[in-house]
Amino acid sequence: MKTEKIYSAGIDIGTSTTKMVVSSFLLKNVAGVTHVPRIEIIDKTVLHQSPIIKTPFINKEMIDMEKIEQFIFQQYQLAQIAPADISTGAIIITGESATKENASEVVHAISDAAGHFLVATAGPDLEGIIAAKGAGTLQQSKNTAKIIANIDIGGGTANIAVMQFGEVMGTCTLHVGGRLIEFQNGNVQSISPPLMKLMEKWSKPLKVGDSAEDVRVARLIQEMADILAKTLSGQLTDEQHPLLLGHLPTWNKPVEAIVFSGGVAACIYENECSSRQYDDIGEKLAKSLLQHEQLQSFLWLKPEETARATVTGAGTQTTEISGATIQVDAEVLPLKNVPVFDCHMDTNNKEFDYAVKTAIERADALFSIQESRWPFALYFSQLPYLSFQDVHVLCEAILKHLATRSSKEIPIIIVIQSDYAKVIGQTIQALNQTVPVICIDQIKVETGDYIDIGEVLPSGVVPVVVKTLAFHSK
Amino acid sequence: MNEQLVSMITQLVMEKMGNNALEEPSPDTAVPTEDQKKPLLKLQNTLANANNADEVASPGTTEQSNEPLIKLYQTGSGNHEQSLNSANNDDTLAPITAFKFEADTVSESVQAAKKHTPARIGVGRAGTRPKTKTWLKFRLDHAAAVDAVYGEVTEGLLQKLDVFQVTTRVIDKEEYITRPDLGRRLSDESKALIQSKCKKNPKVQIIISNGLSASAIEENVQDVYLSLQQSLSNLNIEIGTTFYIDKGRVALMDEIGELLQAEVIVYLIGERPGLVSAESMSAYICYQPRIGTVEADRMVVSNIHKGGIPPLEAGAYLGTVVEKILHYKASGVGLVAKEG
Repeated sequence: MKTEKIYSAGIDIGTSTTKMVVSSFLLKNVAGVTHVPRIEIIDKTVLHQSPIIKTPFINKEMIDMEKIEQFIFQQYQLAQIAPADISTGAIIITGESATKENASEVVHAISDAAGHFLVATAGPDLEGIIAAKGAGTLQQSKNTAKIIANIDIGGGTANIAVMQFGEVMGTCTLHVGGRLIEFQNGNVQSISPPLMKLMEKWSKPLKVGDSAEDVRVARLIQEMADILAKTLSGQLTDEQHPLLLGHLPTWNKPVEAIVFSGGVAACIYENECSSRQYDDIGEKLAKSLLQHEQLQSFLWLKPEETARATVTGAGTQTTEISGATIQVDAEVLPLKNVPVFDCHMDTNNKEFDYAVKTAIERADALFSIQESRWPFALYFSQLPYLSFQDVHVLCEAILKHLATRSSKEIPIIIVIQSDYAKVIGQTIQALNQTVPVICIDQIKVETGDYIDIGEVLPSGVVPVVVKTLAFHSK
Repeated sequence: MNEQLVSMITQLVMEKMGNNALEEPSPDTAVPTEDQKKPLLKLQNTLANANNADEVASPGTTEQSNEPLIKLYQTGSGNHEQSLNSANNDDTLAPITAFKFEADTVSESVQAAKKHTPARIGVGRAGTRPKTKTWLKFRLDHAAAVDAVYGEVTEGLLQKLDVFQVTTRVIDKEEYITRPDLGRRLSDESKALIQSKCKKNPKVQIIISNGLSASAIEENVQDVYLSLQQSLSNLNIEIGTTFYIDKGRVALMDEIGELLQAEVIVYLIGERPGLVSAESMSAYICYQPRIGTVEADRMVVSNIHKGGIPPLEAGAYLGTVVEKILHYKASGVGLVAKEG
């Protein structure tokens, strides 16, 4: 059987470190010869792992983009891959780096320069999920049926993602990290703002210049471990807690097992922190987690990756492959950062025209900025069983509301969860031959997600990266 | 697949066994929903026929076939009531709650596994045997498979598709099953009919046969056919005159290819039914099928039904397969070789 190889890159710009991986995916038709083809990624090989470097900064608020670009191109050379050969992958900016002034500019500029189809991503929830995938925890949850929390502790934040049966059930992010207190020459050199806020209630807060051996340092570390344990046990209910970043935990079942990844996790599992040459609380935090009584009640599992979990996830776990029977206008691809709107279809009455019309109106209200229309993807999650007649009615409705405004820049983009893309794409073509259509299926997204659609691969499928913000819930 | 029906049958069985005292079914036991209509009707017909055979037929029985099962059930239990009444010298008419299967109590991981397969997993057991519910479901699916083989495609569907009908050398279903060779040849009248009615040398000739499952054709052929037609017309590929073959075998396409000198034949035929689906259809495709064509030159897209490849998507996909075959002038193993 024929296989096809594509290259993927993953870049992680974190609070304290930056790293990159280059990998190759093997695609193959896994359906039997008598079936409609189904293309899947059957093998992933990491070709090159970069060293872990310190994230370069120009000053406290600016990331040094030039240095990062230099680093990336140097790694491409070492991997002996040209950036133009990269057909999928993701760049993610994480932890406190994501809050820097030029964070958005950096990821988008690099995503354009460093590969043909490299997706820019950010956001603490997504970070937790990508780390969990990269650490192999999502796969473990599939294999064991246990409810597992993956806690990715980097320099600035701990990103928790909880999953079962291979589906993410919820996330939570805490200001718990190895670099929240930095030392120099045995003294405290810097304390991050969330910790300062935490100490507002203390009579004698820790200050810059205090000794590294000060008991208050240990007390802060203890606070961090406590809040983590509380979060995992479902006891964190204070929305205003100074160490909570964003929302409260969103999972609704008790966690059974835990896995640590990220830079600090290297100190947890490997028992020697020699690779971490930073003068901060990382090592002590790891020790305190290891000894924490409440955390002992969970089953501890091991990750496949620790410090490189997020970058491995970004490089190898973000790409999905569309269904094999799709209809796409190759000229308008790739498409980046397309927002998704779920066109809800009432399964019982097939009032397609009304459903499509309201969905488009609401999507316009959500995504259009001052009359300039953005392309958005109309997503059909719950299509009822359709007859040929139904498809025609549906496609007429889609064309009626979208055809006049579509162009090469704004094609009609349709994403379908079930296997209907080819017939819907063909029907739109039969009704209107000039309008550009992207119609793909077997991709699961939700309103609020963004998708990136890559160029058509020789086997006729397209790589898709879903940047999800919502979760599976029962 | 049809829990309510199974539970209703069980209720009938239980009463037959005389375990329960007499009862009127509570109205909520049998409110057939829309998608259940089909199997309900089938069952009802069977039961109604049985009634006719056993006793003097009431003339209305068969004509009532559009009524929901509840009607029949009442009739059935009515008869039943009488006999039991006479035997018991009638004392009770105590209201008894309707029979219900105990709720499934499978673990979350079994539920998760069930999402990935239509196989009968996590069904539990009663001693060394399957539970009644499992067993009845199995019998129901098996009966549906038998029905599919012995059923016929309705005249209405053929009219809707606007196709004429031809026959093979097979006389009846028994012969069709025991003599595959006869299902591979056209009857003499059919040959004449095809020659008089069909366009010669078509680029693509579409043919349809019930094969081993009439219900497969009944359920799927319309959507596949329409979507395939649309797909081919989008690609500017011309289609010959479609017709329907009663009791055809796959290799019959060779004789038809010879007769019409077709470049590609797409043959939509009912698959041998199984216990997961009795409604699965296949599309066999061949480049220049002629008498003596070897099986390696044929291609097939199988598993076309609601729970497999959706019929519409299959039709759309078949169009691109035909395009590829015409481009390479080969099908089957030959196509794979030419594609490199």
